[in-house]
Amino acid sequence: MDSLIVNVLTKNQDVLLKKWLIELEKTDITGHVKFAATPNMLRDTNEEFFRLLLKHISYNDISQDGSIERFFDQLLQTGLPVNYMTQGLQGMRRVILDVLLDDGSIDKEKAIELYNDIDRWLDPILNRVVENSAQIWEKTISIQKSALLELTAPLIPVFQQVSVMPLIGTIDTERAKLIMENLLDGVIKYRSEVVLIDITGVPVVDTMVAHHIIQAADAVRLLGSTCILVGIRPEIAQTIVSLGIDLTAFPTKSTLQKGMERALEITSQEIVRKED
Amino acid sequence: MDIQSCVEVRNEWDIVSARQLGRNMAKELGFGNVDQARITTAISELARNIYLYAGNGKICIQPIDQLGKKGLKIIALDSGPGIRDIRRVMEDGYTTSGGLGAGLPGVKRLMDEFSIESTVDVGTEINATKWLR
Amino acid sequence: MRIPILKLHEYLLITIQVELDDQTALQFQEDLLSKIHDTGAKGVVIDLTSVDMIDSFIAKVLGDVVRMSKLMGAQVVLTGIQPAVAITLIDLGISMREVPTALDLEQGLDKLRLELEG
Repeated sequence: MDSLIVNVLTKNQDVLLKKWLIELEKTDITGHVKFAATPNMLRDTNEEFFRLLLKHISYNDISQDGSIERFFDQLLQTGLPVNYMTQGLQGMRRVILDVLLDDGSIDKEKAIELYNDIDRWLDPILNRVVENSAQIWEKTISIQKSALLELTAPLIPVFQQVSVMPLIGTIDTERAKLIMENLLDGVIKYRSEVVLIDITGVPVVDTMVAHHIIQAADAVRLLGSTCILVGIRPEIAQTIVSLGIDLTAFPTKSTLQKGMERALEITSQEIVRKED
Repeated sequence: MDIQSCVEVRNEWDIVSARQLGRNMAKELGFGNVDQARITTAISELARNIYLYAGNGKICIQPIDQLGKKGLKIIALDSGPGIRDIRRVMEDGYTTSGGLGAGLPGVKRLMDEFSIESTVDVGTEINATKWLR
Repeated sequence: MRIPILKLHEYLLITIQVELDDQTALQFQEDLLSKIHDTGAKGVVIDLTSVDMIDSFIAKVLGDVVRMSKLMGAQVVLTGIQPAVAITLIDLGISMREVPTALDLEQGLDKLRLELEG
């Protein structure tokens, strides 16, 4: 790094900070509910960054001791909106140009040349912030995806030969496949003669979801077990009929309780109140 | 380097050899129980089509590795009469042999990727791939 | 290759333990029908526990066997279809809704008894 820049910036660091903070105030992060920072915290963060920046300004390469990287990594973890960081860095670029141009000791041409240096120096930081934040998002998404797969309905044996599979949440093709495998393996494992599939927790039953459920019921029947679809709310009955979905091949019940009564009947079992 | 294994299909017993080869390769690649059955069944359908409609041809099975994504590719080749109306044969329930008409559309559903190319009086090539989950 | 057919009172029991090729499947169809004819059996259980693949051809033969037997007065139950086999059949678009099924041989016999006797 040209020692001229270092001199100018160190000399003008108070002006630089003041201008930069004004620049930063233009960035509106009030819309980001996720980041709950007090103004004090934000000010501390800004000053800490400025301090790091000045410390590093005499290096040619920002990754000399990795402290800027660590600083941004930590910031990202706190949930500070990424646009605040990118705007902060871009703001810094503008402010530095201002300061260089205002400084009487440098002519315009030299200032532009120095500014190019600054550009090359700030860009990697900016890239790193964006890249890291994208990585954090990707990681979050993949964690949530596997968490969703873990949600994939278990088959719960309730009575002898009777099991229940409560379905919760949206059913896409990938999930439907896993549900089907779980369901069939469970039928074999618990020797379930009747399986109740409870769709109370499925928010929307469209043609696709109904298709998956019908396939699961068909497969259960192939194994030699009976599938009863329960938890059919009025609005679901309405959509099923208006979409022209044919569920007549399978027994259906409005509630899990009614389905359970039917299941006990099929397996020749009954619940009897104990006489004292 | 991907190595292809092929089975010539000329009679009904070759259908069994083709699907046994497929099952072994699927098992070796680490496919689960259900996907093994899917692959084996798809091969059986494709091999039977060759036997029924083309008389002879071959089934080739090839492990693939694309940027770390592993899978198994089935290639069904014949120099039979070809298929006049591909859209028809991809319809569920369409059959000219008295079967269930589940063959080709079924294979498409069993596998992850499916393509068919056919020229009348020249022959047919079907490619179907299953990716390792 | 032939698949053995066992007689137990008025029922016929078949456990398929070989990989079914087309000829064996068709031979089995023929053998079963003549056995029903010879014994006057009222019920048939075909156990598929050891079968690891059913393609559309085998599915058609099985479905046909069930319908043909019914014409001859014998009720057929398929038992022991494995999860992987069931999923494959569903993918193929074959649900065999008209074919009676049961979890295993024992329940298959119970089902027949229930339907034939009461």
